[in-house]
Amino acid sequence: MPRPAPDDLTAFFWEGCNAGKLLIQRCLSCGTYIHQPRPVCSTCLSTDLAPAQVSGDGTVYSFTVAHQAFHPWFSDKLPYVLATIELVEQPNLRLVSNVVDCAPDEVEVDMPVSVVFREIEPGFVAPQFVRASP
Amino acid sequence: MGRRVALVGLGYSKVGRRTGLSPRELTIQCVKAALDDSGLTPADIDGYSTVGGEPLSDAQMLGMQPLSWFSQAMVAPAFSYAAIQSIVAVASGQCETALTTRIIQQQPTGNALLESAGASRSAGVPGDQQFLAPFGGGSPTQWAGMLTRRRMWEYGETEEQYGSHVVAQRSHASLNDDAIFRDPLTIDDYLAARYVAEPVRILDCDYPVDAGSAVIFTTEERARDLKQKAVFVESAALSSISGLDFEHLPDMVRTAPHHCSELLWSRTDLGPGDVDCAQLYDGFSFITFQWLEALGLCAEGEAGAFIAEGNTRLGGSMPVNTDGGACNVGRRHGANFCIEAARQIRGQCGERQVPGAEVSVWTNAVGPFAAAFLLTA
Repeated sequence: MPRPAPDDLTAFFWEGCNAGKLLIQRCLSCGTYIHQPRPVCSTCLSTDLAPAQVSGDGTVYSFTVAHQAFHPWFSDKLPYVLATIELVEQPNLRLVSNVVDCAPDEVEVDMPVSVVFREIEPGFVAPQFVRASP
Repeated sequence: MGRRVALVGLGYSKVGRRTGLSPRELTIQCVKAALDDSGLTPADIDGYSTVGGEPLSDAQMLGMQPLSWFSQAMVAPAFSYAAIQSIVAVASGQCETALTTRIIQQQPTGNALLESAGASRSAGVPGDQQFLAPFGGGSPTQWAGMLTRRRMWEYGETEEQYGSHVVAQRSHASLNDDAIFRDPLTIDDYLAARYVAEPVRILDCDYPVDAGSAVIFTTEERARDLKQKAVFVESAALSSISGLDFEHLPDMVRTAPHHCSELLWSRTDLGPGDVDCAQLYDGFSFITFQWLEALGLCAEGEAGAFIAEGNTRLGGSMPVNTDGGACNVGRRHGANFCIEAARQIRGQCGERQVPGAEVSVWTNAVGPFAAAFLLTA
């Protein structure tokens, strides 16, 4: 399983997952959410940044159904849905993840989703997304 | 932009799968071909821009020093990055005659990628990739799947329209002795081809090869003395609109080609209506669709219908990728679009010739970065 090698900039994200929280870096000067994490805010150049919890609600901005694996761990997981999720907190705040608990052909662009945390492998918890309850 | 720049030489190495040729050997072959094509000698070259080569040691190996300009990049957007370096260097007067190469070796097959990915499983994934790899992301085919899906959703495109594109490109390739895939295809063949990252199918992907491609740019004055009909760079544009992760493009449908095309048209009195044929990057099929719209060769959202109606075939209103595109000639990483555009203006395309072609656009890349060029007689 290609697991993350977190550093000081990114460790908060995976610690959040372990605690069942979706944490996104946020600029304390202008409030912009930043993902993937960066050492500076591209909107205002502040370096005053800290993790903030988000709701986990979003929509499927786009997705693909993987029919070919590029890492052996995924060879027996085909087909799976790789999606870019737009989080509701900010336009263009996007996260890559999987849409799970439904057949790939049930996934649609613009579908409302919400985050769940799954232990993908012992000791590794990652965010996944499921169709949001109406 | 400065002095008027002309394209006076072009050439390829042997191109194919597992040629056994080293980057140096690919370089030697394509450079000799371009020198022969132009009638120039190594002593005439005083600029060298490359992606995939090593400008200083290549220049020494080929007897081209001293150089007044050199540039090396592994940065997107591929061949076009070296091309714009050469064009700007000649236009500004930094050098007179700039050799430009893209040297590429076949990337590993799917199975080889799988093996190497598995072999490094003990190391964690650092940086931005840690937010992609654990979810099974990381292959360009997958962002291609996402970008294709988003435009199909926004514009109501159908898989049959993508099939029309693939069939049209293959029909051009069947007229090109240099193409690797030449057997005609039908839309049914396309729809039966396997998905890699749905909706992208194996036939929507360019074909990895070993290839050396070389082009020589010089001044208008010098070009008039040489044996080939001069081809002029009427306009050139380079664009970067976002960070390198395609998955995080702010708009997955209108990307660098749109910004790039605005720049391209702002630098010339010519417009989309003056274009006779278009050589548009097809690393994945959707890229050609996006360039058609970005350049204003068809209306926004209309590329699918435009293609399905036959407009992009030879004989149609806007022949596209008259050499068959990278899906059929191999992933020469942008160079074939430049070379085919130049050959069309020279009148050297034989059965693929667009009659009286005087203006051709050629483009490279999509997503975070792109480049576009207008070539004229």
